[in-house]
Amino acid sequence: MRSDYLPDDLRRLWQELALNPVQVSADDLRREASKLRARLSLRNWFVAGVCCVIIAAYGFFFFRSKTALERIGSALSIAGAANVIVQFLKRPARTMPSASAMESIRFYRAELERHRDFHRGKGIASWLLPGLPGPIIFNIAFALDRPIFAPIVGLQLAAFLMIAALVVPLNLRMARKYQRRIDALDAWR
Amino acid sequence: MSAASGQDEYWRQAAAEYGPAMERLAWAYEADPDLRRDLIQEIHLALWRSLENFDARCSLRTWTYRVAHNVATSHVIRQKKRRALVFLTLEEIEAQPAPQNVEESADRQQARARVLALVQGLEFLDRQLMLAYLEGLDAESMSQITGLSAANVWTKIHRIKNVLVRQFHSGGSDAQ
Repeated sequence: MRSDYLPDDLRRLWQELALNPVQVSADDLRREASKLRARLSLRNWFVAGVCCVIIAAYGFFFFRSKTALERIGSALSIAGAANVIVQFLKRPARTMPSASAMESIRFYRAELERHRDFHRGKGIASWLLPGLPGPIIFNIAFALDRPIFAPIVGLQLAAFLMIAALVVPLNLRMARKYQRRIDALDAWR
Repeated sequence: MSAASGQDEYWRQAAAEYGPAMERLAWAYEADPDLRRDLIQEIHLALWRSLENFDARCSLRTWTYRVAHNVATSHVIRQKKRRALVFLTLEEIEAQPAPQNVEESADRQQARARVLALVQGLEFLDRQLMLAYLEGLDAESMSQITGLSAANVWTKIHRIKNVLVRQFHSGGSDAQ
């Protein structure tokens, strides 16, 4: 009968759960850790490589451009790409499982804050925002100097603004959701 | 003993003593078998890495549970972004209709499945406390793991346990 199960039986029932233990050895874990480290390093090199291509391309335009505005746009783009490399290497995104032995409620709060800040654009702002003015100025300068490309550049800018108009409020909404969970956690404690 | 062999030794000890508890914890947090397997491996990896810094200021058990819960926390937050998981508040659990096949749950296996389902349905923080309780931890250990005061732990455990027991027994007593 179900009513025979008292709280202590609940414990016993729980501890009786039939499990097929996952077999791992310390060597497996060591191998997995180096695989993850290698993956992280590869990703860092990939981002650095993409940024180097951007720097090389805008470097080329900097020396070949006819107008001062194009050169300013190129210089700002180079600085933006260099900033991404610096930020990325300084604070890489987490790919390794968290090894924190912090008290669990404090850890949960820290995780919620991390996600909230991500959606508020705290990390992205320091990476991407400094990189945006350069390409925008360059494209405008490019279109001004070559009017035939003006419609394409105009479309690009319009698409960019539309995406930003959608993405920013969505992310702020997510950030508010995480803040509500933080508030609920504080109230729960 | 070198740092690496100390780390391995601590991990072996933790895996041997608390391995089944870590597996049950993974069951409570992840219903999908493949994702659960990943979660268990992630817990072991995180635990092994963390033990590099283990200074014995708390017991190995407290350390292991903290790491396991924290990895599961990250997993739940990550998975919640990808798919909707159903976690219920205590009030919602109480409002859940009891299953029709109440008498069938005399079978112990079904009872275990029912406990698991109830634990899986708990809201995240309630589940964390209930798991520690079901694993037989005392209030002091639960307090060290969660960071709540021991008194607060017991108040909450008492409330969650009552709801779970009522829910577990509901229908059974009504039917009699």
